[in-house]
Amino acid sequence: MMKMKKSQWVGLAILLALLAFSLGGMAFSPYSISQQDLNAIMESPSAIHWLGTDHFGRSMFTRMAHAVGLSFGLSLLCMFTSSLVGTAFGVWSVWGGKKVDVAMGIVVNILLALPGLVVVLLFAAIAPGSFLVLYLAISLVQWVEYFRVVRAVTQGVIQSPARQSSRMMGFGRWYQFKRHIWPAISPSVFTLAAFGGANAILTMASLGFVYVGIQPPLAELGLMTVELFPYYSEAPWLLAQPLVVIALMVFAFHLLAGKRA
Amino acid sequence: MKVMPFYKRILFCSSILFGLLAVTACSGPTSSNTVSISAAFEFTSLDPSKNGYIFSRMQVVETLLDVNEKGLLIPALAKDWQVSEDARTWTFDLRDDVYFHDGTLMNAEAVVNSLLIAQTKHGALRNAPINSISAAGDSSVVISLSRPYTLLGAVLANYANGILSPAAYGNDEEVLALSGTGPYKVFQFAPPHKLVVEKFDDYWGKKASIPFASYLTGHRAESRVLQAKSGQADIVFGLDPASLPSLQRMDILTVSSNSIPRTIVLKLNSGHRFLNDVRARQALSLAIDRKGIAKGVLRIPGSEAEQILPASMSNWHLDNVTSETESEVGTPESLLSSLGWNKNANGMLEREGELFELTLITYADRPELTAVATAIQAQWQAIGVTTKVEITNSSAIAMGHQDGSLEVALIARNYGFIADPLGVMLSDFGSNGGGDWGAMNWNNSALSADLMTLEQTSDPVSYKEIAQRSAQILFNQRPMIPVSSYVQQTSVNNRIKGFRYDPFERSFYLNEMEFVKP
Amino acid sequence: MKAMLLERLLQLITVVWGVGTLTFILMRSLPGDMAYRIAASRYGQDNVNSEAAALVREELQLDQSPWVAYWHWLTDLLQFKLGDSLVSGLPVMDSVQHMLGHSLLLALSGLMLSVLIAVPLGLLSAWRGNPLDSVLMGLSSAIRAMPVFVVGVLLLLFFALHWGLFPVAGFGTPAHLVLPALTLAISLAAVSNRVVRDSAKHTFQAAFYRFSRVKGLSEWQTFRQHGVRNIAVPVVAFFGIQLVSMIEGIVMIESLFSWPGIGHGLAHAIFARDIPVIQGSALVMGVLFVLLNTLVDIICLWIDPRGAKA
Repeated sequence: MMKMKKSQWVGLAILLALLAFSLGGMAFSPYSISQQDLNAIMESPSAIHWLGTDHFGRSMFTRMAHAVGLSFGLSLLCMFTSSLVGTAFGVWSVWGGKKVDVAMGIVVNILLALPGLVVVLLFAAIAPGSFLVLYLAISLVQWVEYFRVVRAVTQGVIQSPARQSSRMMGFGRWYQFKRHIWPAISPSVFTLAAFGGANAILTMASLGFVYVGIQPPLAELGLMTVELFPYYSEAPWLLAQPLVVIALMVFAFHLLAGKRA
Repeated sequence: MKVMPFYKRILFCSSILFGLLAVTACSGPTSSNTVSISAAFEFTSLDPSKNGYIFSRMQVVETLLDVNEKGLLIPALAKDWQVSEDARTWTFDLRDDVYFHDGTLMNAEAVVNSLLIAQTKHGALRNAPINSISAAGDSSVVISLSRPYTLLGAVLANYANGILSPAAYGNDEEVLALSGTGPYKVFQFAPPHKLVVEKFDDYWGKKASIPFASYLTGHRAESRVLQAKSGQADIVFGLDPASLPSLQRMDILTVSSNSIPRTIVLKLNSGHRFLNDVRARQALSLAIDRKGIAKGVLRIPGSEAEQILPASMSNWHLDNVTSETESEVGTPESLLSSLGWNKNANGMLEREGELFELTLITYADRPELTAVATAIQAQWQAIGVTTKVEITNSSAIAMGHQDGSLEVALIARNYGFIADPLGVMLSDFGSNGGGDWGAMNWNNSALSADLMTLEQTSDPVSYKEIAQRSAQILFNQRPMIPVSSYVQQTSVNNRIKGFRYDPFERSFYLNEMEFVKP
Repeated sequence: MKAMLLERLLQLITVVWGVGTLTFILMRSLPGDMAYRIAASRYGQDNVNSEAAALVREELQLDQSPWVAYWHWLTDLLQFKLGDSLVSGLPVMDSVQHMLGHSLLLALSGLMLSVLIAVPLGLLSAWRGNPLDSVLMGLSSAIRAMPVFVVGVLLLLFFALHWGLFPVAGFGTPAHLVLPALTLAISLAAVSNRVVRDSAKHTFQAAFYRFSRVKGLSEWQTFRQHGVRNIAVPVVAFFGIQLVSMIEGIVMIESLFSWPGIGHGLAHAIFARDIPVIQGSALVMGVLFVLLNTLVDIICLWIDPRGAKA
């Protein structure tokens, strides 16, 4: 494992704390995300509702816990998928010869030329409310970044005398990858992954903001922001909750990334 | 090779834009001579059959007849009209000295031309039993029908049948310029967001006092509220109920609440195996906490609705119905258990191993629908019905009706779309099985026959008798479940006086507005 | 140089074809009957019914097979035609021009503003070092952690509502441009000031830079002669990339401020299933992407001719 800086530990700690909050909330809250009480709307935090209630009288604590869980789940999934796919294609593009490289180059250029959010919107329209589709769309947008970096780094490594000699000694491709390529690309992949996690969270929140892909009573941070916005003067503490959590998650991922963008 | 010209064009465009920005800043409409309006609806076309509701509200386009606040027909471009003895010939006498915005005088030929074109396009006129539309002399128009049709006047008052100058149409009946007859004429048309109209000096009626009026599409409810609060928009329609309390505290504006003949209703697929018994529909209706929704979600206490049509349409509104009436048939629990539904271990209803699950679709154009759907979802959950809510596009309702996939839909139905509610009732309940926005797989021959009779009934007493009978059938059978009647919330800046709300959403009455002198 | 331009031209062609085809495939795989969606956008929600959908289907010949439709699009494209909007019936070219003009106006002003914010601040934090550096970096981290729309909403609440300085939404006067451009600029500057700072720090510490101070040039002379160009290369490259990805943030901003730009138009066209508009605008955005990249490459080459061989 790479040695981590202090700030990276802080980022990790924030993320773990949020995860613990989310899991704890989902496991122990006596309320469900949909349970309403129209006679107790927008209450301030109390012993019964730790974070107050929203405009339907639903428990904010429960909803926040679920929303954080959802954002985490999706961002981690996207992160893993896109880093795996991006790395694999990046290495393959260098290793597979000129033809593969050119073909990949064309695909990547087309994807890059389409703004990411448009792809996500198109996908989201195909199956409204489906998280599988959202996940696929975000991953489709994100893997390109890994691909470009990995390809660039790998190109250098492949020419290195160390790998050349490994090859001549008859070591297999897997060994060469593990021994020469992975150490060279792993720091970049790790940094990209942390940024990717943050971006996935932001993308999802943005989608909620344009009312795409989320169906009630689901709790999602972006959608909660939009829903609670009209009450900003009446109940600012409600609007603050999803905003603070989005900011915390993104910030923590950035800290975890260590290097600067 | 294609690239360079295109790129140049873009550059060209942006430089022109910069220029325009600079020019418009110093001439034409300014905030001191323009009443600015913000509402949710986009427009894409000049054609009255498509976006006529915007042009009629902005008072660019007018129709032969108009509708007053009570829903009665009043003269507009026709100063008078007569119906023949056999009720098959309607004669309209046109107003004299009416000028189109292009300067030409309106005559019978122009009116006939507009109506004939409207007849070929999507709208109510297309389905009216019309034999011919012809000019009789220079100032009257005769419409002859194949059978008596009391609705004709109301249909002609619909925005789609606005009268335009003959020069407004292109070869293929496409509308090229919006030369109407209203007190305002088009100044700038920038679809889909912005329409600016300018006072028309040769208007036949009450001339406008405010020189310009602008309409800006504000897609986001919260953005419209901010426009009202900041004073950027003088009149903001369709305010989000959530923001009402904070708006009511502002002293630069007044919030005006007006009941309109629009109702939030649940459209049920009465052919669905869970919903084909009236008891199931009644149980779902009884499970809805209408008062709670009106007060907590819509924030307009008293807007709860037991009946589909509002009290203002007195022919169609039953006076003997209260919020208690329906509970005489039982409780949701008793009704559902009489149908064989029992709660399982999770508290959800189950019958022969099958859960009571429904999919409710609604659309995002009106933000309150999503909120109401969320509330209903939770209230049905409480009696053991699982509801999946899907937010889609309004077209999904008509489509779901046609392909039979729709189970439940939450809609905001405008029963004043044709000023006479019979128009909408006919399309919603008149034919077998219902209509795209009405009942679904629900047949009631007595009701259909009654509605058909009304089409030819002109005696007010027997009209009311039959209409009341129909309303009672709809209440008892619950092919659609009303939730709440619509109260339109509009904010009006205090620098404007003379604001009046049209419950039929036909006009903004811009020509009656004035700026308050400072 | 010539080879590069040729390569870019090739890239342009593949991008145009690829983007158009991809959007076509995606749009065709959307569920539901397109005719209904288009009818809803044309006639409004009160007046959409199966009759309207049937009219639309007949008029637009939506029954034709996807292959035929694709072939039409492709042959039109070869004649540089983008077709007509299914909803409004107007040429796609016109509406794309209208939208793109607004988007470019917004993007360019946002970019200029962000350069004005980010470059001085970045240089300042590199030059002055701590504690100013930490404060500025902290600030930029905080802004980066917020979704773009939150920045926009905050600006709205203060500038438009509280102080009433600028309009909330709309377009047409320079005042309308201020808040959306500022929103864009701030979120962009939060990222780019780091790039400026890192690049400046890197240059300031370089041996050649220190040497020129030692050989007697003033601080300003050194900066002008050795600093500017070296700092600029990564910064320009970065801004070039940002301009493109900015379109994403623009969708939010356009939606929030009712700005009639291309991002917002695209999102709407997707809801309305207006395929020609989607294809047209996606295509134009793709072209723009390639052009901008080329432009950035040329500028970088001009600033730093050493890159020519690479």
